[in-house]
Amino acid sequence: MLLYIHIPFCDSKCHYCSFVSYTKNHDLKRAYFEALTLQLEHELQRAESLKTVFIGGGTPSCAEWGYYEKIFDLISPYLLPEAEITAEANPTGATKEWLLGMRSLGVNRISLGVQSFNDAKLKFLGRSHTSKEALSAVYRAQEAGFERISCDIIYQCSIDNKRLIDEDLDILLSLPIEHVSAYELTIEEQTAFYGKEVKNSEEPFYLLIGEKLQDKFSQYEVSNYGRICMHNLGYWMHEPYIGVGCGAVGFYDSRRFYSQRDLRAYIKDPLKTRIETLSRSDLLIEKLFLGLRSVVGVERELLPLSMRERADDLVGEKLTLKNGRYYAKNLFLADELALYILGETL
Amino acid sequence: MKNIRNFSIIAHIDHGKSTLADRLIQECGAVEERKLGEQMLDTMDIEKERGITIKAQSVRLRYKKDGREYVLNLIDTPGHVDFSYEVSRSLASSEGALLVVDASQGVEAQTIANVYIALENDLELIPVINKIDLPAADPQRVKEDIENSIGLDCSEAVEVSAKTGEGIKELLEAIIEKIPPPQGDPKAPTKALIYDSWFDSYLGALALVRVFDGEIRKGQEILVMGTGKRHEVLDLMYPHPIKPQKSDKISTGEIGIVVLGLKNIGDVQVGDTITDAKNPTDEPIEGFEEAKPFVFAGLYPIDTDKFEDLREALDKLKLNDAAISYEPETSAALGFGFRVGFLGLLHMEVVKERLEREFGLDLIATAPTVTYRVRKSDGEEIEIQNPSELPPPQEIDTIYEPYVKATIITPNEFLGNVITLVNEKRGVQKRMDYITEERVLLEYEIPMNEIVMDFYDKLKTVTKGYASFDYEPCGYKEGDLVKLDIRVAGEVVDALSIIVPKTKAQSRGRELVKKMKEIVPRQLFEVAIQASIGNKIIARETVKAMGKNVTAKCYGGDISRKRKLLEKQKAGKKRMKAIGKVQLPQEAFLTVLKID
Repeated sequence: MLLYIHIPFCDSKCHYCSFVSYTKNHDLKRAYFEALTLQLEHELQRAESLKTVFIGGGTPSCAEWGYYEKIFDLISPYLLPEAEITAEANPTGATKEWLLGMRSLGVNRISLGVQSFNDAKLKFLGRSHTSKEALSAVYRAQEAGFERISCDIIYQCSIDNKRLIDEDLDILLSLPIEHVSAYELTIEEQTAFYGKEVKNSEEPFYLLIGEKLQDKFSQYEVSNYGRICMHNLGYWMHEPYIGVGCGAVGFYDSRRFYSQRDLRAYIKDPLKTRIETLSRSDLLIEKLFLGLRSVVGVERELLPLSMRERADDLVGEKLTLKNGRYYAKNLFLADELALYILGETL
Repeated sequence: MKNIRNFSIIAHIDHGKSTLADRLIQECGAVEERKLGEQMLDTMDIEKERGITIKAQSVRLRYKKDGREYVLNLIDTPGHVDFSYEVSRSLASSEGALLVVDASQGVEAQTIANVYIALENDLELIPVINKIDLPAADPQRVKEDIENSIGLDCSEAVEVSAKTGEGIKELLEAIIEKIPPPQGDPKAPTKALIYDSWFDSYLGALALVRVFDGEIRKGQEILVMGTGKRHEVLDLMYPHPIKPQKSDKISTGEIGIVVLGLKNIGDVQVGDTITDAKNPTDEPIEGFEEAKPFVFAGLYPIDTDKFEDLREALDKLKLNDAAISYEPETSAALGFGFRVGFLGLLHMEVVKERLEREFGLDLIATAPTVTYRVRKSDGEEIEIQNPSELPPPQEIDTIYEPYVKATIITPNEFLGNVITLVNEKRGVQKRMDYITEERVLLEYEIPMNEIVMDFYDKLKTVTKGYASFDYEPCGYKEGDLVKLDIRVAGEVVDALSIIVPKTKAQSRGRELVKKMKEIVPRQLFEVAIQASIGNKIIARETVKAMGKNVTAKCYGGDISRKRKLLEKQKAGKKRMKAIGKVQLPQEAFLTVLKID
């Protein structure tokens, strides 16, 4: 079992972010962590062991490390020896104290929301840190003893140009990190960017990124490069996971569980979830696109005959077939490939 | 019978015919004020939305003059060139017609065409100058206009404003005075003309008839002479825009609706004669010419499973629109569909829209084409209505294409533009007359193929909307024509083939593939789009292979959201047509319409 913990607090809201997060209501932190603990305790009943833990947000570094003690008390009996435990942090929130504290609790991987090392772009994105702060955060994490550090960057913004992206990549390559997540900007409803012309629709920056990163970080999913994050890999392999916290999602027994998205409502009733039951065809579609967008691949035997025939059509030019699994040659084509293989079926 | 007047209204589109009908209905008090809706006789959604009349409608009105009550049967007619067939049906059941002309516009091409039909039917014509309330109205000039172009005496023309009601009383008086009452023998055996029929979901197939001799009674056993079938008259009604009024009989000279409880509209075909089953009349009434579709297009369901639904929809639509013809055809590209014949382009649009709207279908229409006659090298002569049926060049001796006689009336300032346009369309001038100092009447012979696409739109463009246009078929002429094919990824897409003059083939081909390139989205594979004549490729464009289609973010465990996005994309693709491995959007099939 995998575990996801959502921390819905932020110091400021980024212009592109659609995740559940609150910039006010920090007075509710204590109440929130109590509710979180309650839900966690409840959900852990169905776990035998935990392979990975991911604390995401929001901004987990918005809460002092002491808040997490109770959580770790609860989960430590379940943790496997080599468990991967990631916490997300903002460059400014990742203070020496917070990093050391989290490390002492058992966190062994830090994912830093850097987004860019260009100050103009950081401002454009609505980030509250500077390029310099981002750099020092990486080194602080290293000094705190973290061997596994990941940086998020974002691309395809209207402010982007080849030089800007190139410079960001050069910096990433010079840092003591083992993982990069490079996300293309997506405009979501109810974000500051919604309805605005903030996307660069011309340049294929993804090609530049893939090319430059490949020597040090090999691509294992559309947006992910470097040493594989076992937690995310688990999602893509349809492994069961528990999701706790407001707006978190869990998945087991072919069902998805959605906790309440509203902070106060969640605190009031952290056990209340909306349940979505996935049909066999839902699961098949997911296996298909998740497999094609990552190194997971798609098991050939799993596909119905007509889909298998269409997939076989693509082998050579677009897919490779290895040990009974299809792999996309170009992960960036995953959706198109999935649609092609699905054809008229389902 | 002396007190009956049967009359139609004929006019060019937009000259206010339906509004005038409304005003007459109101003046006769046939509809309570509060129920008055605008354009009452236009009952179809499409008619109200587009402001056009497609189906002729009838209404029975009562009007008192000098202490006598008159029955006025008003038959509204469509004004668009495509629907002149409906016009001729309406006129066959009338003794007179109001020729409505816009006081600010004057005579238009359609006015002239309708007048010819009316004169052929020996109808008494009353010129009506409408819209006299408009500031630009010039009734005197318009009367001269009518006299010059049609030769109709306008000294007693009635001036009205259907909008304000001015002159409506005078018009009603004129109808009673000038239009002759129907003739006919009330004692002779029943003889009635079916001049319209349609299908009512409660009452079955209904026939709208004009009784020429005798009468039709409720309970009477009648014979429909064309089919030789006998039926009992279940009910009779006088037509009315809101609530038809029941009657026990329809007498000589009257119009009425006959309810026979029939499931099949074919049993009451327009043009057929109804008579008494036991005491039949000797000769059926001479029907009018059947509507001949002369524009053809393939209609295909986007969802290939919906072929039977389309057949059913066409069967039902045919009940109300006798002018369409259809037969199944197969396209390698589009699957199973129908080759449907229409009266014109507007008719085609209306039919497609009705099929989609009233029957919930999603359809692809191929480019409209005309009927070509081909003499093959072996002497055999064939007719083709689908370019893909054209035999290979070596088997063709001669291709003949249909021509129309086109009448265009334009302000003289646009004369140059019109002539240039018509020349581009291979037109040959037959007549050019100034009907007034500013307005010119042109007659041309033009290959029909050149006008089925977007000629009317172009004409409107080059004359800022001032020119009017009408046409009638005028026979076949030899043409130097070839079939231009479009190949997608090497395969000929039969639904995209067109027949073009040899001299235009090169440029059309180049234009077409260019347009197609803009429309065809990038696919997994590179797609070649070519134009060819026979095996010779004359133009090529390439749609490059897609490099990226994926949503970048997929974490936090909410994979359902991502799945739903993919399903949405999938639904989008379903609206496209798969040609081999290539997905073609629907617009691709209409590109042919959009080139010069």
